Amino acid sequence: MNRGIFVLLFLFSAAVLLFAPFCGVENIPLSAVLHGSSSMLCKIFWELRVPRVLLGWITGATLAVCGMLFQALFRNDLASPDMLGISSGAAFGAVTYIRLGAEFSLFGVFPGISAAAFAGSLLATFAIYAAGNGKKRSMSSASLLLAGIAVSYLLSSLNMIMQFSGSYIDSFRALRWSMGGLETVGFSQVLTTLPALLLIVFTAFYAAPELDLFVCGEKLAASRGVSVKKLRRVLFLAVSFVIAVNVSVCGPVGFIGLLSPHICRHFAGSAHRSLTLASVFFGGAFLVLCDTAARVLWAPSEVPVGILTAFIGSLFFLWLLMREK
Amino acid sequence: MAAIIEAKNLSLKIGDRQILRSLDLSVEKGAFVCIIGPNGAGKSSLLACLGGLAKGCCGEVLLEGKPLASMSSREAARHIAWLHQSGSDTLPFTVRQFAELSRYPWHSSFSGIVKEDEDAVERALVSANVVSLADRRLDTLSGGERQRALLAAALAQGTDILFLDEPASFLDYKYQEEMLAVVEKINKEQGITVVCVTHDVNFALRCAGKIFAVREGSLLWNGNREELLEQNILEQLFETRFSFFKTDGNKLACVVPKGLLI
Repeated sequence: MNRGIFVLLFLFSAAVLLFAPFCGVENIPLSAVLHGSSSMLCKIFWELRVPRVLLGWITGATLAVCGMLFQALFRNDLASPDMLGISSGAAFGAVTYIRLGAEFSLFGVFPGISAAAFAGSLLATFAIYAAGNGKKRSMSSASLLLAGIAVSYLLSSLNMIMQFSGSYIDSFRALRWSMGGLETVGFSQVLTTLPALLLIVFTAFYAAPELDLFVCGEKLAASRGVSVKKLRRVLFLAVSFVIAVNVSVCGPVGFIGLLSPHICRHFAGSAHRSLTLASVFFGGAFLVLCDTAARVLWAPSEVPVGILTAFIGSLFFLWLLMREK
Repeated sequence: MAAIIEAKNLSLKIGDRQILRSLDLSVEKGAFVCIIGPNGAGKSSLLACLGGLAKGCCGEVLLEGKPLASMSSREAARHIAWLHQSGSDTLPFTVRQFAELSRYPWHSSFSGIVKEDEDAVERALVSANVVSLADRRLDTLSGGERQRALLAAALAQGTDILFLDEPASFLDYKYQEEMLAVVEKINKEQGITVVCVTHDVNFALRCAGKIFAVREGSLLWNGNREELLEQNILEQLFETRFSFFKTDGNKLACVVPKGLLI
């Protein structure tokens, strides 16, 4: 583990967090924030820009860590919650919630749409488990992966049916939402997603030694004393929950979960404790950068951030792959 | 001597296939034991059952008198270390990192590597003769070096039993010799009990104090090497005939199936 790399990643993340709120359709000068506490610009800064940047950072970090966990869990570089139907499941739950026009919250704090998304992502998880754990063979990472891809397609098609069959306005809302976006007002969504990020980082740290062994082989991990069944169960549950919370707030934001673990492995190696840290800082900063670009490039209109993460992320990834040779 | 592993009535069924049929077996502390048999006889499944890694295994396994079934996987991993058949798994760690990972059963999830772990790793690297490779990544090593590094990791686990599943297959002669030398040394000097599954009869004859012959999921025979040769077990076990070659001093040098003679 190289300390310098982490200092760099941390500084990169901090710099992005500091500068991003000042950029937008209209750049806000520092003096407006410092002095004109009641001005319009100051309001925009504190009530729109800062929450949005924070939400973006939390979302990026969450997706990156979840992607890392799934790649370890499936022992496959192409696994991530958005590739394997967990995000589609959460989206399915949320879209159903929107379509039914339901409006409730659990215990007064946990928003109904998050609960619906969690139900959806759990549904996806159970479907993957049930299909991946056939009668004749025991569960392996490969069969889980296949099941995940099938579940992902199934739920995406259900989402599309749902959008297609709705009224024009509902469909547009659902479609716009399904492209992912970080529009937010005030700090309530930041406060919803932050505990989920903390939970998943804690889980990743806790499971890191097990994951290090697990990526070396299921048999090997079991022989070193890892309870593979328990590890799978805990991580699946945690990732489903955290993804659901996040998707219910921001919609599915693709590619970060898939790409950032690969990119981080270049900096931080494969040990999961350092990889988790690197994923948090890189994923967070990357999504904020993409979102800032999405706000600025075609101003005054905004591009859905999912389009940019996919575009920038895949180009960057291709460049990394070519350089490796 | 006391039995360190005692298995009673082991059975394993996967789907409709009966892999193991009520098999009894016991291994003495400090012994070097080989399990031999033809392909598909259930050797590896037997080892998996003995180590608690096989799902759906019936019967009882006692490790130093304690039922394996009552142990957590972590506890079992404090008794038994494995060297699996060398696969093509990607191992994105250095030899030392990988050996440090093997210390997992000894600490809780949040404690890092402590001095004791470092010492155990260092000793293991020396025993397996991979000190010079310690900072190389496993996927840059040759097959023989890699197998030795994996053995080092298994030794770092610090157990009193070592399970080897076909440790020498796919290795060149030189590496087979090195491997064997390392395993024999830790068996003799550190008293680690070795249970080795192999299809290589010469390997078993060369190093095993006791041999178990498994055929169609049952224990066909067990005893020491002299008895194995006297009683002509090999022919029954492999359903083929063997020629025996001796050195000048009338010591057995090797056995070769008649059909494979040059």
